[in-house]
Amino acid sequence: MSGDAVVTEIDHDEFNPRGTLALILVYFAILVVMWVFMYFVEFLGNDLTVIG
Amino acid sequence: MSSAIESGEPTFLDRFPQEAKVVRSALWSSFIALTLGALFGIIQTLHRTDVLRVFSSGNYYTILTAHGVLMVVSFTIFFLVGIYTWAVVRSLDRPVEDIRYTWTWYGLMVLGTLMALVAILGGFIDSIDISADVLFTFYAPLQAHPLFYGGLAIFLIGTWLAGADWFRSWYAWKQENPGERIPLQTFMVLITMLMWYIASIGITIAVVIFLLPWSLGIIDQVNPLLTRTLFWFWGHPVVYFWLMPAYLLWYTVLPKVSGGRLFSDPLARVVFVLFLLLSTPVGIHHQYLDPGIADGFKFIALTNTMFLLLPSLLTAFTVVASMEHGARQRGGTGLLGWLRALPWANPAFTGMALAGLMFAAGGFSGMINAGLNINYLVHNTLWVPGHFHLTVGTAVALTFMAATYWLWPQLTNKPIFSRPIALAQVILWFVGMALMSNAMHVAGLIGIPRRTAEPQYDGFDFIPTFGSIAELDLQLVVGGTLLTLSAILFVSNLVLSISLPKVSGLGQPLPPALSGPDDAPKVLDNLKLWTAIALVLVILAYTLPLASIVDRGGLFGPGGTPYPTMIEFGSTLLEIYTPLTTDWISGWLQ
Repeated sequence: MSGDAVVTEIDHDEFNPRGTLALILVYFAILVVMWVFMYFVEFLGNDLTVIG
Repeated sequence: MSSAIESGEPTFLDRFPQEAKVVRSALWSSFIALTLGALFGIIQTLHRTDVLRVFSSGNYYTILTAHGVLMVVSFTIFFLVGIYTWAVVRSLDRPVEDIRYTWTWYGLMVLGTLMALVAILGGFIDSIDISADVLFTFYAPLQAHPLFYGGLAIFLIGTWLAGADWFRSWYAWKQENPGERIPLQTFMVLITMLMWYIASIGITIAVVIFLLPWSLGIIDQVNPLLTRTLFWFWGHPVVYFWLMPAYLLWYTVLPKVSGGRLFSDPLARVVFVLFLLLSTPVGIHHQYLDPGIADGFKFIALTNTMFLLLPSLLTAFTVVASMEHGARQRGGTGLLGWLRALPWANPAFTGMALAGLMFAAGGFSGMINAGLNINYLVHNTLWVPGHFHLTVGTAVALTFMAATYWLWPQLTNKPIFSRPIALAQVILWFVGMALMSNAMHVAGLIGIPRRTAEPQYDGFDFIPTFGSIAELDLQLVVGGTLLTLSAILFVSNLVLSISLPKVSGLGQPLPPALSGPDDAPKVLDNLKLWTAIALVLVILAYTLPLASIVDRGGLFGPGGTPYPTMIEFGSTLLEIYTPLTTDWISGWLQ
């Protein structure tokens, strides 16, 4: 099933996974934004639930 | 359709017809469990949201247990034994040593499943005294009929014998190929099974020494915290027992269907070794809210868990790089433009790629669960099922279904009945899960509980930060319905494939890695070393917590907790089992 439409063979030394690096940086950026978002929503947005 | 997928190569069925039959049987068992599990899934979705209640809420735990056990024990593990048999036979290029032995472990697994299923379904019939409404997390104080624990034990023995079968194949291969590196797929299988054997120690002790005798009435009570801790000793590594076959498929099959080659064989080996080391000494992270376990022990579990993110992040890199390699070989260009060159019309590729994408989201919610403090926010809420429907429910399940579209023709010499339906099916699963899991996560954040038949309360309303409960329920119902439809399409497509005529040349050989096994340090293949380190980590993580639990709560529950613990442990065992053994022997002699 597909996977056979190879137009050019790329060997180990020619391959530089720049696109993968870009995607992983995007993922890390999302993680950082969500952590920051969580801090505001879940901690600053709520009153203390354990008192004295 | 068939001309597009013919490569002229002989298939697995052509080369190993007896083994192909075992693999097909295991996969059918898996898919039957998926179908039944999906049925119980949609019943509880409609029940919880109060859209349609076909059973009384008193039966909710029966339904939930059936859904959980069928999906995460039967569906996943039957698929695992099928795919691992294929992987070992294929990568060692030799048949199993004794096909009768192979059928024996498969038969044991089927027998164990049927026994457990009878016990679970007995919960629907009030007139018979059999039930197992204990959920997948079957620790005390919930108690099941002995048939459930017995079935579970037989099923587990089946999986151990399956592992022995694969080790036997490897050993025979090694005698004929001295000094050769273990082929990658076999390496992954062996590492998975080593992890499984270590993990099984916990559940074996829990079932054989505590839960089964308790259920049979031989002992009156158990220490619930001890059985919980022993359950999670096994219950977390079982998560990796589900995931590692999916990883095997991502590392060895996904690069092929992407049109490329695996980026790095050594990195794949490192990832599996890390799973062997770190999967087990983390179980206490499921017990952050359990009183009776000191925070220090929980902190150790937290640290190990955070290290466990490493192999998954390594996988994200290696697998995406392998896909990028395929895309660039297919003519893709640009920093992200190569994504368009991937074979999105191929259901095997699209399913596995979407499963990986969902896993990235599951990784985030997993990090929340793993955090000692933020876990308090989501513990026992619907967030947690939201999380594991992304991981086992999509990363694993969708990968299994997508890989089936690639593998099935090679096991049957028949093409898949309809590729467009297959493509629609994997997309439906992704969309359905996106809706359902999102609703579960949000519902969990506002405190809606899990494992609850009727989370609607008089005089109290959950207040969402945005939207409404009705919207969340709608997402749950629509998502659950799409998932059920997707499961039906998947199984129907395979059933309809049976009627197609056989064709030849459907074989799909797997290409070697870009960076092959020769680039990997030889120490990676030293299975004894990694097993020993894994055992040491387990001993470090569990000895003190277990001793403390027994010391405080007693081996068999409240009462009698003299110091030192280990003497108490031994003497209690002797006290209980010596008269039993004596009775049994004297009875047998008469």
